[in-house]
Amino acid sequence: MPALYRLAYEGRLAPGFAVIGISRTAMSDDEFRNRMHDSVAKFLEDSPFDEDLWRSFAQGLTYLAGDVGDAASYQKVSAALEKIAQERKTDGNVLFYLSTQPSQYAEIAEGLGKAGLAKGTGWRRIIIEKPFGHDLVSAQELDRRIVAHFEEEQIYRIDHYLGKETVQNIMAFRFGNGIFEPLWNRRYIDHVQITAAESIGVEGRGAYYQEAGALRDMIQNHLLQVMATIAMEPSATFSSDSVRDERSKLLRSVHTMKPEEVAENAVAGQYGPGRVGGQAVVGFRQEQGVNPESMTNTYAAATFLVDNWRWAGVPFYIRTGKYLPKRVSEIAIHFKSAPLAVFGQANEGEPMAPNLLILRIQPEEGISLKFVSKRPGAGMTLRPVSMDFNYGASFGERSPSAYETLLLDAIVGDATLYTRQDMVEASWRAVQPILDAWSAQKFPFSNYAAGTWGPEAADVMLARRGHVWRTP
Amino acid sequence: MSATAAKPDDLLKELSVHWRELGSGDAADGLLRACSMTLTCFADDEEDAQSLGGVLASLMREHPSRLVVVRLKDGEDELTARVSAQCWKPFGHGQQICCEQVEVTASMDRLADVVSIVAPLAAPDLPRVVLLRSARVVRAGALRKILRLGDKIIVDSSRVGAPGFGELGGLLDAGHTTGDLAWTRLTPIRALLAQLLENRNPKAIVIEYPVEHARHEVSPEARYLQAWLQTALRDCAISLRSGMREDCSGIAVVRVDQDLVVRVCKGGAEYETGSMTQRASMPDATEEQLLSEELGIVVHDRVFECALNHITA
Repeated sequence: MPALYRLAYEGRLAPGFAVIGISRTAMSDDEFRNRMHDSVAKFLEDSPFDEDLWRSFAQGLTYLAGDVGDAASYQKVSAALEKIAQERKTDGNVLFYLSTQPSQYAEIAEGLGKAGLAKGTGWRRIIIEKPFGHDLVSAQELDRRIVAHFEEEQIYRIDHYLGKETVQNIMAFRFGNGIFEPLWNRRYIDHVQITAAESIGVEGRGAYYQEAGALRDMIQNHLLQVMATIAMEPSATFSSDSVRDERSKLLRSVHTMKPEEVAENAVAGQYGPGRVGGQAVVGFRQEQGVNPESMTNTYAAATFLVDNWRWAGVPFYIRTGKYLPKRVSEIAIHFKSAPLAVFGQANEGEPMAPNLLILRIQPEEGISLKFVSKRPGAGMTLRPVSMDFNYGASFGERSPSAYETLLLDAIVGDATLYTRQDMVEASWRAVQPILDAWSAQKFPFSNYAAGTWGPEAADVMLARRGHVWRTP
Repeated sequence: MSATAAKPDDLLKELSVHWRELGSGDAADGLLRACSMTLTCFADDEEDAQSLGGVLASLMREHPSRLVVVRLKDGEDELTARVSAQCWKPFGHGQQICCEQVEVTASMDRLADVVSIVAPLAAPDLPRVVLLRSARVVRAGALRKILRLGDKIIVDSSRVGAPGFGELGGLLDAGHTTGDLAWTRLTPIRALLAQLLENRNPKAIVIEYPVEHARHEVSPEARYLQAWLQTALRDCAISLRSGMREDCSGIAVVRVDQDLVVRVCKGGAEYETGSMTQRASMPDATEEQLLSEELGIVVHDRVFECALNHITA
């Protein structure tokens, strides 16, 4: 709702825009509006809250109480939509947003379909949020039940990472500039590290989180999508299908690990007690609602290889975890070192620092290029320096939140930043061997202390190829 | 900015907001956020904040850094931090150069937390240097706790409460890059001696250190000089003794055989060879100059390490 309000603030919504809130709780329209008012006022980031605008925006908010398993609920929705179409001139255009338990997606899609709501006088679209299934088979089953009522073009699978400015900027950076793309291949790039670190724990979501884990919660969706954006081929056009075709192709090219390859290419971790930001924190197994013998991974790292001409042999290291030292998401492209160390080595036996290109997703979205430079003065002493581009400082204007971008895209029918089913299945295929191997394994958890950069095994995984994790 | 409870994410966000505010002022077009390294300075609370601030501020001109100043005190359970920036406009330039600073105040019992807070504050991909001026850290035997904050640790052995050669040698053995301002102070005298001894094959060298050190122990500068000379002149007998001069820091006189005497004095050195006396200018280096020299070397200094190894062998 804060994202919708912000779009209204920017004047991006049609005057007749309306929202019907649906849940099991009995509530009047006014009660719903009051709750939304408080929620928007609380969670609106970087924007003023305008009461006058809210009053106008709130006129379009109505509420229905209903159960997703009750066919009558859908009839009530149908009637409400017809009424709104007449009163607010919406031309019958409807976007269904399922902000529910993922286990209810299929049931709701079926309910909408059976009530005839998947088709109408205007366009009909449905947004679902990850997780899209909990493995490959369940993802295919979910899709089978949804596409029985909605066409693929009507389904918008939201992955909010793709709505982030920096992720979108990856495409601008790669395909809007002439100087980087010639270097963007196995000849010049040594390896890529993608990090999504959180400095918080499960924050009371222990019960939910222990069903998901870091691999499912982050890598299977967000981070593989980011990797696809980094590594995909240029699309012929910027049309939704053209871009998604390339992302999908890349994901399908990710090498599927054989069971015996998993141990060397994937690392599971779970945090134990530690100190984070000056606070003592408990281990995952001591969190409320968590099984004291839980095998859930709160940290996951994996090495993915891409079987195509551009990337053959270039490892893509992906890691994510809870209670790491700081909150940061970024992509580090490590270029190969200069072929000849004409200026000697930084230290005996140590190679000269390689060039690094850092794409920061959060916080402080931006891009940095690291290279070495001569230190002023006598002698040829080289030192690493960093050239930074900061989104906020360079443009001086607010970046829309990922949800603003994605909701507006869904409203105007642009699915470029949404995930397609073939992409969902391809990314499940990439992680399925890891899930299978881990489900049959008992880990000696906990294996990293809260506030550290993860288990030692993750360092060993990179060391096998002569690499080390960068400290973001 | 006011002091706040210290959390790395919050501090980094505060820095970001701070820069945005600085950048939105009149000087927005002429403001450069400069950072060539992360410099973390551990100091004791009793140390004169203004004097320390002056040293670090002047250091920023040559080595613009993300500066983290940790002031340690006795007492219990205190840990706060504040962020700020210092800017200056080089003469004749329109653009202001600005560096960011995080000041952390903590009681010693929170040292482990300080490390967990300061580590994530480091500017990525740039050198990280720790300047240790806190005797509390040394007394508490906590030197190793702060090592992960830096690629290099700089101490000044001639300061009261500084780590001893044994501890420094231990760091070297563990592969850490270290620097010692007592060694850096020797740079001009080493340069002079290298010139004077270039074509000689001395049999005996006596290094006299100032009497003020004699009350306690050999000055660290004298130990370093002895070790440095010994590693270069393996067949020469190099000895130390206390001298009488008080107007020099660390080294008073160097006597080479019977025919060369180098007397170190304020601002320079006099050397006598035969009946000839000459003077070499050696301006006393300020602490900022010594630090600046050390910050210019962020890799292993093999000559220094060789001398330190000789002392601790």
